[in-house]
Amino acid sequence: MFDLDPGEELALLVETTRSFAAERLTPSLREAEAARCVSPATRAAFEQIGLRGLELPEALGGVGLGPVARVLVNEELGAADPGAALALDGPGPVAGALSALGGEEAVTQALASLPEDGRALLVDLADAKLQVEGGHLQGVVPWVPAERADVVLVLGEEAAWLTTGGYRLEPLRGAGLRAAGSAELVFEKAPVVARFEGRAAVEQARASARLYVGSLLLGVLRGACDFSREYALQRQAFGRPIAHHQALAFLITDMRMAVDGARLLLHDAAWRIEAGLSAAGETAGAFAQTIEAAATIGPAGVQILGGHGFMQDYPVEKAMREARALSSWLGGLDAAREDAGRALLAHAGPVPLSAGER
Amino acid sequence: MDFGIDAATRVLLERAREIGEREVRPAGLEADRMGAPLPPDHSYFKRCIERGEGRTRWRGPVGRERPAGPRRTTVQTLLVAEEYAYWDRGIGVANPGVGLPEGNVLAIGTEEQKEHFLTPFLELDRPRWACFGMTEPGAGSDAAAIRTHARKDGDGWVLNGGKCFIGNASRADWILVQATLDPTKGRAAQRAFFVEQGTPGLGGFKIEKKMGLKAYESTSFSLEDCRVPASHLLGGEQRDTSRAGFSTAMRTFNAGRPVIAANAVGIGRAALDEALRFARDEDRLGDPRVRDRLEAMTRKLRMARLLCLRAGWLADREQPNIVEASMSKAMAASLGQEATTLGMELLGSRAARGDHLIEKLYRDVKAMDIVEGTGQVQRVIIARQLVQLPR
Repeated sequence: MFDLDPGEELALLVETTRSFAAERLTPSLREAEAARCVSPATRAAFEQIGLRGLELPEALGGVGLGPVARVLVNEELGAADPGAALALDGPGPVAGALSALGGEEAVTQALASLPEDGRALLVDLADAKLQVEGGHLQGVVPWVPAERADVVLVLGEEAAWLTTGGYRLEPLRGAGLRAAGSAELVFEKAPVVARFEGRAAVEQARASARLYVGSLLLGVLRGACDFSREYALQRQAFGRPIAHHQALAFLITDMRMAVDGARLLLHDAAWRIEAGLSAAGETAGAFAQTIEAAATIGPAGVQILGGHGFMQDYPVEKAMREARALSSWLGGLDAAREDAGRALLAHAGPVPLSAGER
Repeated sequence: MDFGIDAATRVLLERAREIGEREVRPAGLEADRMGAPLPPDHSYFKRCIERGEGRTRWRGPVGRERPAGPRRTTVQTLLVAEEYAYWDRGIGVANPGVGLPEGNVLAIGTEEQKEHFLTPFLELDRPRWACFGMTEPGAGSDAAAIRTHARKDGDGWVLNGGKCFIGNASRADWILVQATLDPTKGRAAQRAFFVEQGTPGLGGFKIEKKMGLKAYESTSFSLEDCRVPASHLLGGEQRDTSRAGFSTAMRTFNAGRPVIAANAVGIGRAALDEALRFARDEDRLGDPRVRDRLEAMTRKLRMARLLCLRAGWLADREQPNIVEASMSKAMAASLGQEATTLGMELLGSRAARGDHLIEKLYRDVKAMDIVEGTGQVQRVIIARQLVQLPR
């Protein structure tokens, strides 16, 4: 029955991740952004506490956790530095997506030889102009949050393709997530090394990827809310903290409501996947809702700080850019709404609202 | 973590669904068409008590208590409240029973008061109601501003003032009237008094004409030198310490606002289902604009429901839920309105005919953003917690 308690084990994982983020990511977020990578010490700490590749089977050094653990961890990482989170978690959303497409075997084949600082990239056809012909990928992905790619998984409508070479990354300045790097990905007759078929499997893979990105985004939004709220309690104007002017108090309230609502949708969707229920529509809806929340919370965080918010002395401008970058991934809002709408119309009868309703 | 609904709750929901479709919606539509509440002798209410509805949660006098029945969790209560509101929210308020004051009487009332006022609700011999009289024309969400006055006079109390928008007041056996001993001292000087129907000085009942939720009466009445015995002061003369405990509990825990929020989700869900049905029948689902709006509404109502359940889950764990309760109310009420508005827009000019269920839902749901504190009041409550917004 309805229970939001993640349990002792996951609560400990969240606490550990939060401490790591506070000690390692937050203090150096501008350095990581400028360097376009994370420091070796941070990477070592991340590995040591077992946060890399949570979904990977134990044979590959992972802990085999599911989507619920992923969304909880990503919120904590995203609240500190989502770019660094992507740089640190080499398998990234590819691990969960591959698991949906081909189970442990597919994950092992694709990621067993991924170096410690290697990156697996996930590309949605909605983001790219790609052709798949004669067992090769050809075309351009305008942006990926990476400057190296050891493995690339491309998600289509009814099939997915894996490639490990025959492409190059042209570095870009990047709008956000610079700690992960930023590049244009150009496929030049990249040979497909594995092909996965079936609409249902691809939908599940996409759902897993949306949870990954959506929960990082949720973290960014929570971070922006927390920081701007703290600031509004310190900053005085017209003789009182600006948080005590009702216009701002209500804005802060609405921001918090939007974050809490998006979080519940993401958790609901993650639970559905873990429970083996259909989740494509719910996950797409949760992703869409988080992106819509980001569209207001990102700029609102800057707004609360006024002129200071516009300056890079504070992290809210970074949060606004990162939120936008994450919102652009995996086809962004339009693709998510397309999938959620399709799932809704595929259902006959009353609209199913509850996770518990099959 | 678990977002599922267990088998026992599914049974409750299935029962609510069955009664809702067969009884609740037709009764609500009948009242709406009449433009007035169903009369107390309507056969609908007789069937309610035949089904055992309206019984008090009180188990009876000390020493003669009836066995404890299965107690619903707050989460279950919210899901059932949503389901009933799906079929008709107004009729839910019109149903016989003690209604709103039951919690206060159980928490603060003396044993004698429970025996006197709740015994008729242990097994209803006929449809009976009670009600809670708080709101006044000049005091809605700002309950500290009530002006109905209570004056000690010998061995009793004399009440003067008036109340408005009180559900079921004219048909209630008794009204729990909130009054102030000193209007300059706010909530601290307020007390509640049982006023039985027929007490001299209680009168002037006027059933208001409302935009929606016509199935239950919202009534104004006056109290003119209305004398009640000392035993009718809720909790008795010595109740101050127990009330302090109750007030403290109410400050950290709220079960009322999530119920209204769940009602709003139910109404919104009904509108969404009707809108989807209409769009399907009219062959409009191929229009991406229509589909996108239905999609957005679906996920937003799902979000509102989850916010309600979160508030209820915290209540069940006896954890503070003030912020979460207000969030659920603020969010669900406006999203319920949005869902009915979407339905009206899809109907187009047909909505203006005034004979479609969605049009009724559009009128009904507005009250969800008003009762139990408006959306603005909810934001004030949340802001007090989040940023210590001064009072």
